[in-house]
Amino acid sequence: MALLEVKHIYKNFGGVKAIQDFSIEAEAGEIHGIIGPNGAGKTTIFNTISGVYAPDQGQVFLGGKDITHLEQYKITRLGMGRTFQNIRLFSGLTVEENVMCAFDPQSKYSVLGGLLPTPNRRREEKRGRELCAKYLEAVGMQDYLHERPENLSYGMQRRIEIARALMCEPKILLLDEPAAGLNPTEVAELTELISRISQQFGFGILLIEHRLELVMNVSHKIHVQNFGETIAVGTPEEVQHNPQVIEAYLGKEE
Amino acid sequence: MSALISNVLTQVFITLIAVAGVYVLTGLTGMFSLGQAAFMAIGAYASGLLVIRAHLPIPLAMLLAVLLATVVGYLIGYPVVRLRRDYISLVTLGFGEAIAALLNRMTTLTGGASGLTGIPRTVGLGITAVSAVIAIALVASFKTSKYGRQCIALRGDPLAAQAMGINVTRVKMIAFLLSVALTAYSGCLYAFYMSYVDPSGFGWKKSADWVIMVFFGGVNSLTGSTIGAFVLSGLPQVLRSLQNYRYVIYAVLVLIILNFKPSGLLGEWELTPRNVKRLFAGKKKPAGENKEEV
Repeated sequence: MALLEVKHIYKNFGGVKAIQDFSIEAEAGEIHGIIGPNGAGKTTIFNTISGVYAPDQGQVFLGGKDITHLEQYKITRLGMGRTFQNIRLFSGLTVEENVMCAFDPQSKYSVLGGLLPTPNRRREEKRGRELCAKYLEAVGMQDYLHERPENLSYGMQRRIEIARALMCEPKILLLDEPAAGLNPTEVAELTELISRISQQFGFGILLIEHRLELVMNVSHKIHVQNFGETIAVGTPEEVQHNPQVIEAYLGKEE
Repeated sequence: MSALISNVLTQVFITLIAVAGVYVLTGLTGMFSLGQAAFMAIGAYASGLLVIRAHLPIPLAMLLAVLLATVVGYLIGYPVVRLRRDYISLVTLGFGEAIAALLNRMTTLTGGASGLTGIPRTVGLGITAVSAVIAIALVASFKTSKYGRQCIALRGDPLAAQAMGINVTRVKMIAFLLSVALTAYSGCLYAFYMSYVDPSGFGWKKSADWVIMVFFGGVNSLTGSTIGAFVLSGLPQVLRSLQNYRYVIYAVLVLIILNFKPSGLLGEWELTPRNVKRLFAGKKKPAGENKEEV
């Protein structure tokens, strides 16, 4: 069984068929791109896989375990990290504290340690800060520990969000339009970053992206969605020449 | 020290402990409770009754009273931490008023509207001052722990917090219970300082007072909340003659603050060695460099 297995999931919102029969299998080290026009149900796929809501039909397995109806935070702890389409860093916390938040649920000290500086708390906080430094360095943000994310550029905030997702120690990482709002230089940097962390940490990546230069460069396999349906699956070359894909993106030739 | 000042300070310190609790709840976690004073009432009545009726030693009675309040807190917290912000205020308001009504009605146990008398007066300025310092230190430590961080994270974005593996309901419950325990303890001190408690002082107005103090000083700053509590609970005691205008003065102060500094007097600024250093270092630089912490 693959590391992540999504089997025939469906999700409706009232009359809107957001996902119809979506399946995917992803292994460690693979990058899967998911593309499609706005409203094709791409983010809904992420929300369903990561447990924001359960699918109407179908199943999701992570590492062989059925996670279809698990609560979101439990799925995260089993090894699923994600970033958001519109950056959702925590306001009121520094860059380091933001990233630490993803470590805190696994941090092993009790409420007593929450009130008093017990040796246990000191040890766990130190472990957390070290991991934090490691992941911030992986995204090149190690010099901004004590800054507030809202004072940093959009591209930097994107990278902090990726570091925060890495802090969940994911087996599968979901990146929801990581290049949105970035300039071409930043997109090139991000392309390099995604390939690098994929190799460095060896997790599987699912990537939703509109910027084709990014998604075509890094993906091993691409799923094309349109109106909730998968219209094509294949390597970047294959989908680029698929007539249905061209039609969905450019319209039909009369 | 004159008796008046000692009396004022003792009451201020008791309020500081309750407000430290409200800071955990409202400041850190973003939950608005309009029934928090009911936990002070539970602490005050339970500890008083355990000493008067059951003749327990005072420290044990206080401990049991705080435990009882925490158990009640868990029961009321179970729905509360699962609700949206505005509903939390409604549920806690109803709960608080229900407790006040119960204390009024259960005449044989509580003395009803005429209050519970004969509680030994054993608490003074010293113990309340030490308690307040310890309470604030505990909350400061909580704020910088993993719990404090998770509270701040889920306050801003519960969905993103869950996506990072944070168990939102559990963290909210821990914050709620810490807040309840602190408030109940302040009630214990209150009972053994006043030697008399009656239900009228534990309604939603008291809970609202505490929320106002937190907002006045800075909802995101424990230092600010403490200063807010100190000023707003101390002032009316000192200016006894203005007692009748208390809410007018509160309202004006709050309006002024909300207009000119919506995040409260201190905003997010905390009294930490690092921030103090920065403050003094900043004096040499052109003005305005460090002021925009918020």
